[in-house]
Amino acid sequence: MSFHAKRRHFVAGHIDRRQFLAGCSATLALGLARPALSQQQRLRMIFWGSQTRAERTYAAADLYMKAHPGTGVDGEFLGWNDYWAKLATQTAGGNAPDIIQMDYRYIVEYAGRGAIAPLDDFVGSTLNVADFDPLQVDSGKVDGKLYGISLGANSVAMMVNKAVFEQLKLPLPDAKTTWEDFSKLAAEITDAGIRRGFYGAADGSKNEQIFENYLRQRGKALYTADGQIAFDAADVAEWFDMWAKLREAGAVPPGDIQELDQQNIDTSLLTQNKVAVAYANSNELVGYRKLNKDPVVLANFPRLTAESKGGHYRKPAMLFSVFAKSPNQKAAAEFISYFVNDLEAAKVLGTERGIPESSKVRDALSGTLDETGKAMLAYVSGLGDLAAKLPPSPPKAAGEVLIAFQRTASGVAFGSQSSSDAAQAFVTEAAEILKRKT
Amino acid sequence: MTIDARPKPGSLEAEQAERRPLWRSLLIHAALIAMCFVMIYPLLWMVSASVRPQDEIFSSASLIPSAIDWGAYWRGWNGLRVSFGTFFLNSFVIAALAVIGNVLACSLTAFAFARLEFFGKRFWFAIMLVTLMLPYQVTLIPQYVLFLKLGWVDTILPLVVPKFLAADAFFIFLMVQFFRGIPRELDEAAMMDGCSAWRIYWKIMLPLSTPVLATAAVFTFIWTWDDFFGPLIYLNDMRQYTVMLGLRTFTDSTGESDFGGLFAMSVASLVPIFLLFLVFQRLLIEGIATTGIKR
Amino acid sequence: MTEAAQPTLAAGGESVGRASGWSRFAEGSGPGYLFLTPWLIGLFCFTLGPIVYSFYLSFTRFDLLTAPDWVGLENYRRILTEDPKFLASMRVTFLYVLFSVPLKLAFALAVAMLLNKGIKGLTLYRALFYLPSLLGASVAIAILWRAIFSADGLINQLLWSLFGINGPSWITNPKYALWTLVALGVWQFGSPMIIFLAGLRQIPQDMYEAASLDGASAWRQFWKITLPLLTPIVFFNVIIQTIEAFKSFTPAFIISGGLGGPVNSTLFYALYLYQEAFSFFRMGYASALAWILLVIISVFTAISFLSSRYWVHYDD
Repeated sequence: MSFHAKRRHFVAGHIDRRQFLAGCSATLALGLARPALSQQQRLRMIFWGSQTRAERTYAAADLYMKAHPGTGVDGEFLGWNDYWAKLATQTAGGNAPDIIQMDYRYIVEYAGRGAIAPLDDFVGSTLNVADFDPLQVDSGKVDGKLYGISLGANSVAMMVNKAVFEQLKLPLPDAKTTWEDFSKLAAEITDAGIRRGFYGAADGSKNEQIFENYLRQRGKALYTADGQIAFDAADVAEWFDMWAKLREAGAVPPGDIQELDQQNIDTSLLTQNKVAVAYANSNELVGYRKLNKDPVVLANFPRLTAESKGGHYRKPAMLFSVFAKSPNQKAAAEFISYFVNDLEAAKVLGTERGIPESSKVRDALSGTLDETGKAMLAYVSGLGDLAAKLPPSPPKAAGEVLIAFQRTASGVAFGSQSSSDAAQAFVTEAAEILKRKT
Repeated sequence: MTIDARPKPGSLEAEQAERRPLWRSLLIHAALIAMCFVMIYPLLWMVSASVRPQDEIFSSASLIPSAIDWGAYWRGWNGLRVSFGTFFLNSFVIAALAVIGNVLACSLTAFAFARLEFFGKRFWFAIMLVTLMLPYQVTLIPQYVLFLKLGWVDTILPLVVPKFLAADAFFIFLMVQFFRGIPRELDEAAMMDGCSAWRIYWKIMLPLSTPVLATAAVFTFIWTWDDFFGPLIYLNDMRQYTVMLGLRTFTDSTGESDFGGLFAMSVASLVPIFLLFLVFQRLLIEGIATTGIKR
Repeated sequence: MTEAAQPTLAAGGESVGRASGWSRFAEGSGPGYLFLTPWLIGLFCFTLGPIVYSFYLSFTRFDLLTAPDWVGLENYRRILTEDPKFLASMRVTFLYVLFSVPLKLAFALAVAMLLNKGIKGLTLYRALFYLPSLLGASVAIAILWRAIFSADGLINQLLWSLFGINGPSWITNPKYALWTLVALGVWQFGSPMIIFLAGLRQIPQDMYEAASLDGASAWRQFWKITLPLLTPIVFFNVIIQTIEAFKSFTPAFIISGGLGGPVNSTLFYALYLYQEAFSFFRMGYASALAWILLVIISVFTAISFLSSRYWVHYDD
């Protein structure tokens, strides 16, 4: 029962009781003691991430509190998988934190259902996005209203094990590489047989981001502006065929090996040392470098032909949104504004959440970045004609379509369906999912 | 009955053991040891993962690390603003309260179901079983809203109070089954002597049920300790986090993770419950043998 | 002794035709309800409300973020007539129940019997055998299970060095993935084992001594004494493990990364339900799924209770 201390009182009394209980006062006092002002306005913030991100975020919040003595910020963080169940529960209970870290895909779900607040009214006064590229501001818009502020840009990228390429004296993939070149490179690596069960590249057939990149180079997209699929069965069939050929050539691993990769850093076949190239987002380079012994570098996705372009785009790696029922919306907007603009805050945040959107922040940071930060910045700003503008935000059921896509692609990889049958079935299923009302 | 198999000269056990050929004893032990390896392998692997270089955890299949660095333990323990000591304390308090609540409340309820007659007994028993059957995923949100209205969110109350109200039907059912195994002659005799239901529960049932009560206590402790979803939903403040919640802060599938710290603290989190199990299993196993029911 | 054990009527343990002293005690429901009070308070305050509410939600469209909309039987109609994932997850779940429960219980009972004997180092063996169950279902288990059952995992290394067989990647092959989860379930056999052990300890030793003197073999003692007297505990373990297996969620969730892959081969029912509720924002639909599962589990439980009078022997 002694642990039942209301959040507001907790600052002073609670700690004392715990210290008494635990006798571990030293650790508790460290970094926890916040000014106990009863009239203080307290903002709650929730984000996904791990300890590194939490450390940086708390440090930025501390700076904010120093600059704004009337406001306190309580941050809570969780891993990606746990995050969404908790956020949904809190939102359903009307008890979500004021500031919510949002994902580009989920923002439509939350905005479309009125769970997060439009921020348009704060722009210009409380919320400063003047130094953002206007196109990147739009990345937080749903149905014309601004629901999220990008915390950093990234783009999809290939993670390349540089050591393997150097050892085999092969050229690293670059801005000119086509899928054909890439397939040959990958097959050569496999053939070189560096170790048992080592392949040139991961199988990307179930990776929706590469598929989108591929579609965009063909002048298509994943979704139309009104939330329908913007490709047809022929596109999907060719896509599956392309990967089937790579699989046959041994350039990518067979289905059951590829399936070990759950599209995150620790299960990636690159991290497991089974392939030389894997696919991810540019801001994940930090994580990849930490878990890989060999040096990892970034490369763009290959072109379809030497002329095709515009597959990539810069997207928000994550955004901050404000809970629709928050009584502190203005203060929350003010905090977000500080978070993305303040140069002191930028120094502690670095490029951990992606490349900052504000040009001023970017300039101020460029000198202080470490090698990894510089590599990410160079990659995202150096995409050139490979990048084009942001696609319309995906429709609400996009998450479900994605799962159907992954399941279909796996089925093809395991040989249980032909490319064309699978493509047809998937297009039908996707259309049904998007049509479904209940 | 003795636990030690070493034959004491001249005793009955000695005769039995002599009759059991040596090769059979060896075979039993060989089988047990082989099984133990299968059981303990994960622990060895976790310890090895906690001391090896992080870039080796996912790419090496060997149990033996290339280099040993215990730094992950220190890093894991102190890596957050709140140390793991606090998480351990929180977990301990919640689990201990849950044990008290479960043992008291569930044994009361189980006694009623096993030994007392009352109107609607079958109906209530069926309801109790039904509460076991519905997946928690769909009652989560109404329950959250309920606790929110009570002002209990962000406290440990939602994790503890229901235990004092016998919300864990598993243990009620378990105790019912064991209570029914206790010879009824005992309480009937007590009844003849004019004992109240309460005295029978307190003076006869509970003392004779040490194994099942200890089982319930140990399971409650371990499961509460291992529970992650309840704390995840109801605790917001890191200073209230439990060990399992703390473990979740090491990894994020989309960013930078500290797997060394995760495994180090996973090993550490096993120590208290393993010790508890070692200590309490005597109670669990020896209860009835020592009280020696004869009929 | 077994002959003396009276089979009783189904649920709850009513006693049949007992001595007058007992019925005097049983007079009136007062004491019963007094003992039941804490549980009844909990039931009405915390448990029943959410259960009833989820039943209501099963007739609505509820996206978690806005208020529920009444849709009548639409969710049930859709599940039962046009939902391929419902069928797929049912199949996976039934297979899992069918194989993991008997295997786990047989294993648990066998080890409990073994550990109930006088063997040196018993304490340590018991604790070690419980170890996997202590680990619960953590991130560490997920990573470990992959390390064991993947292409170059422990199993395949053994197969290769012992038999020269090049095994598949068990955990990510749609044909075998479910079986690795069955293996995980069986491996964590600690809880039923402990419960069996406690049950074995409740059997009076003098019965065995008497049987030994009569020259009954160990095998005969098991069938004539141990098993009959253990039936209430076997019954408990069967019911509980089956319910748990039907609701099984965490192993598949952590090992398949929450998706039930590859190709839905580990899409457990509860995992599908969770996806619907929290990934696709269809809590109403998920609630309907949950109530269908409840019906299935209660049919199974009712059958077990009805059959129990023929094989479960209580001592009361």
